[in-house]
Amino acid sequence: MRLPIADPTMLREHTAALLRRHGRALALVLVLHVLAALAGLAGPWLLGRIVDAVGSGTTTGFVDRAALWLVGAVIAQTILIRYAQRSSRILGETVFAELREEFVTTVTRLPLSVVERAGTGDLVGRTTNDIDRAQHSVRFGVPRILVTSATVALTLVAALVIDWRVSLGLLVGVPTLVATTRWYLRRATPAYLRESAAYATLNGTISESVEGARTIDALGLGRRRRDRIDDDQREAFAAESATLNLRTVLFPGVDVSFVLPIVAVLLWGAYLVQAGLTTVGAVTTIAVYALQIRHPIGELIYWLDEIQVGATSLARIVGVRSVEPDRTVGPDRPAGEQVDARDLRYAYREGHDVLHGIDLSLRVGERLAVVGPSGAGKSTLGRMLAGIHPPTGGTVTVDGVRLVDLPLEDLRGHVALVTQEHHVFVGTLAENLRLADPDADEAQLRHALASVDALDWAESLPDGLATEVGSGGVTLTPGQAQQIALARLVLLDPHTLVLDEATSLLDPRAARHLEQSLSRVLDGRTVVAIAHRLYTAHDADRVAVVDDGRISEIGPHDDLVAAGGEYAALWRSWQQD
Amino acid sequence: MPYTDPGRPPLASASAYLWWVARGQAGLVARCVAWSTAAFVSAAVLPYLLGRAIDTGLDHGADAALWRPVLLLLGVGVFGAVANVIEHRRLVEGWIRSAFRSSQLLGHHVTRTGDAVTAELPTGEVVATVASDSLRVGEVFWIVPRLVGAIAAYAVVAVLMLQASVALGVAVLVGLPAVAAILALVVKPLSSREAAQRAAAGRLTTFGADTVSGLRILRGIGGEEVFAERYREQSQKVRRAGVRVAQTESVLDALKALLPGLFLAGVVWYGAHLALAGTITPGELVTFFGYAAFLTQPLDVATEALRILTRAVVGVRRILRVLSVPPTGADTREHPLDLASRDTAQPAPSLSDEESGLEVPAGRLTALVSHDPDESAAVALRLGLLGAGHDATRVRLDGVPLAHLGLAEVRRRVVVAESTPHLFTGSLRDELDVRGGTDDAARLAALHVADAHDVLDSVPDGLDGHVTEKGRSLSGGQRQRLALARALLTEAEVLVLVEPTSAVDAHTEARIAERLAAARTGRTTVVVTASPLVLDHVDHVALLDGGRVVAEGGHRELMDRGDLASRRYRSVVSRAAADDAEAERALDTARTLDTARTLDEDHTREEDDRATAHR
Repeated sequence: MRLPIADPTMLREHTAALLRRHGRALALVLVLHVLAALAGLAGPWLLGRIVDAVGSGTTTGFVDRAALWLVGAVIAQTILIRYAQRSSRILGETVFAELREEFVTTVTRLPLSVVERAGTGDLVGRTTNDIDRAQHSVRFGVPRILVTSATVALTLVAALVIDWRVSLGLLVGVPTLVATTRWYLRRATPAYLRESAAYATLNGTISESVEGARTIDALGLGRRRRDRIDDDQREAFAAESATLNLRTVLFPGVDVSFVLPIVAVLLWGAYLVQAGLTTVGAVTTIAVYALQIRHPIGELIYWLDEIQVGATSLARIVGVRSVEPDRTVGPDRPAGEQVDARDLRYAYREGHDVLHGIDLSLRVGERLAVVGPSGAGKSTLGRMLAGIHPPTGGTVTVDGVRLVDLPLEDLRGHVALVTQEHHVFVGTLAENLRLADPDADEAQLRHALASVDALDWAESLPDGLATEVGSGGVTLTPGQAQQIALARLVLLDPHTLVLDEATSLLDPRAARHLEQSLSRVLDGRTVVAIAHRLYTAHDADRVAVVDDGRISEIGPHDDLVAAGGEYAALWRSWQQD
Repeated sequence: MPYTDPGRPPLASASAYLWWVARGQAGLVARCVAWSTAAFVSAAVLPYLLGRAIDTGLDHGADAALWRPVLLLLGVGVFGAVANVIEHRRLVEGWIRSAFRSSQLLGHHVTRTGDAVTAELPTGEVVATVASDSLRVGEVFWIVPRLVGAIAAYAVVAVLMLQASVALGVAVLVGLPAVAAILALVVKPLSSREAAQRAAAGRLTTFGADTVSGLRILRGIGGEEVFAERYREQSQKVRRAGVRVAQTESVLDALKALLPGLFLAGVVWYGAHLALAGTITPGELVTFFGYAAFLTQPLDVATEALRILTRAVVGVRRILRVLSVPPTGADTREHPLDLASRDTAQPAPSLSDEESGLEVPAGRLTALVSHDPDESAAVALRLGLLGAGHDATRVRLDGVPLAHLGLAEVRRRVVVAESTPHLFTGSLRDELDVRGGTDDAARLAALHVADAHDVLDSVPDGLDGHVTEKGRSLSGGQRQRLALARALLTEAEVLVLVEPTSAVDAHTEARIAERLAAARTGRTTVVVTASPLVLDHVDHVALLDGGRVVAEGGHRELMDRGDLASRRYRSVVSRAAADDAEAERALDTARTLDTARTLDEDHTREEDDRATAHR
């Protein structure tokens, strides 16, 4: 399942709402740009006046005054450009900051079931590539489109005001310009998207080769990887060629569209001059306009193209907002700590239940080990018990209140989940801990680290708890990362904990060390430990064997061993003696 | 494209490298220069022709005198359009050839270096080098022809202006570079502010990706709000940095209007005086105006070229650093490693390691056990010469030192599969069968041995299903089992597996151990493990301590024997019964005893019994 993408209507509405919120700033930017563009048109106009004046014989005084006017226009343009550019850039920054913050806030509130089904890759792609691509359009594209359209429109208006008859010559280029641009813009977006996808694949392949360099060496995968790179380059080359072919039509079409008006203005202008309907100066001005308008129109086409690419990214950014929440906060709050599951069912795909009606009552303060083969539904059960996402059938309650009816911040005070995934977030060690309790003071952080045996190494980091960790900072070992996860639990202080193979990705030595830290964290809490190391099961108050979505055996370790079922068989092979 | 062989570049210096790339596409570079010059010069001529047209006075209508310059203008304009597009096509070709060649060189090289490349440079940096620095090489081949064309156009304009008026010509020739120099001065503080914003934005992107990657963990413990808030704060920092950039950048934008604008005003003023005096014609005045406006283009190209070339030199140096990492020698350009052809009738060789005293019997399943998993893993890697710093003369395959076989032969015969190997993107079918020539039945059989059938269910389309980047869509256990199936499918004469079941549950581990033993019957297999569920199924066990084999035998035998080494074996294996700390203490004591050999065995037994009593 993919995350949703906004349809054109939603995108339009969202963009319109965004612009409305910044209506005043936008109006100011527009006015400034229009005035700046106006001042920029003075040069050719004064040039035309001088040409006429020289033709009819004039004084140096006139020329000097014209030059002073020109200097005045340049200075006015300079000042206007300064403020127009500043306010449009600031507007771009503000609007875009708003956009990305809205997006990330939405993402952090996405139902986890949606995130899991869509995969992290899609979201990371939207957070990095799409934000990046959209920002190019929003921060630079929108202001530049405003500037260039204002310049083009005003140039035309100015030409019409100076001499509407001569200006008709400018229209000669319009049909070819419109035709080629439309032809191009219709084809450009998919072609450029293909191109950027091809580069993403190529870069992905090479990064994989770098990251997996050792595996390549061990298994002799070199040739396969090189072939893959060559294939990717072939596709990137094909994609580049496709966009190049589009530009091969666009460029000459646009270029010729700009030469034709100059020619037309001169010939048609000469006719009008001869007929006494205009002056050489007016023709000069409009011909120079025709020469100069090429630059803003070229830029406009470029941005219309870019903004289409940006819009597809924006659609992916805005689209996330249309995901429906999977939990609604109810009115009841639990007082007790009793967690119960009743007739619990879950299906990732409709009709394929992973859990087949599990009934389970946790005894307050007990340690329940959940064992069973991979794919039996242990992790799914764990997530249901932690209220991560709603079950498709049955209920999980704490003191009679459904977990999915609790607001998230309340839920975590009751039940928390730690999985085998360990992720050190970018930031300081203290920030990593404060995730669980934003208001924790230094002493509480130290206490939490000390309870999981992590204070020693934490203090020996270059800046202690203020050391930057995670990507780009100090690299922590998987064991240390998991200790941080446990320290967070100390800060979070839930009465019930679900541990989903919390130590399974660690090497056996680190795992054993961690089990000790863990036991201190677990004291006084109800614990559900999903485990594959049987000594965890041995230490538990009760063991639940999950097989094929059902609890096949449950009871104290000794009872199960005595019962001689599947658990007993496993235990014997583990125990050896 | 791509090149069948990207060739061998000189690694001595950035300029030597760029020169080598240029020589490889010399004809193309020449065509780029020619067409760039044509495009620029035809654009430069337009104001001249416009002036000529205006000088006809325009007052005789569209007569022959006007038609001539106007038709010329049309011709030059159309020629310019054609030259432009051909120039663009050639430049893009030059860009792609040089950029792709560099990226291909890098991409191919990292497949030959093993992990030496990431030991030399951080992974992120290598990836960035491939992704962006090879494009920098392309930019050089994009800008240099344009620079040549721009200089040619500048020269043409200069000559035309000097012919009309020496003073104006000199003013243009000296004035515009002066303007460019002033602009370049403003660009400096701007670029530092831009760098600050880029850094802040980079951190923001990292925050975003980081939050999203850790979303599942955040969901488990809360903290989503804290992270959204942190992102907002950083986002506002980026915005503020952006506002600072906007302050400076808008000044630069304004100066870009002011300086050429004033220059233009000067040209108009002076030119108008000349025109009044009759030194130049009104048409020439228009031409000068056109030139002054046109000449900002070559200037832009020149400043752009400066920026690109500086960046490219830095980029090429990074490329050279990656290319200078020596290949491991297993898979070289001269002798590419090709494992596709497989010898089906394989002997089962024996293996011996002088350094540890390990003897791996032919055709059997041997387990390497150690209290310290790193120690046994190190021996395992040495058996296949995987990684750096192994003495290849002291490991023998059927009595022949590996040094005599050569690394390529070692890779072919001995496959070392580490505990958490890398899974590559691709279809399950392709990614499992790394040596080629395996059929689906064999693939399914290997998945069965690794108990990885659930992977088939979790990706749509079964064997045609796609393994995503680093196998992220799979759980840790699934990744490990998939990697095990992949290792089995190499059908290597000697298969060395390092902790192949460390991330799977007990039920699965037991099944895998049993099936693995059956699947490798009659072939030489080494497995590094301390799990009794696996050890139960091996033919032979070697216990390592302090880098040496201290005990050998069957698993049961070692479990039942009463000597010191077997007790140590039990303390490693029977974690279920021994409290960690005590086991460690017992071990440390045992090791002390071993080295000092001062205490008698009874005392040791007493220590050991005490440890047992705590169980």
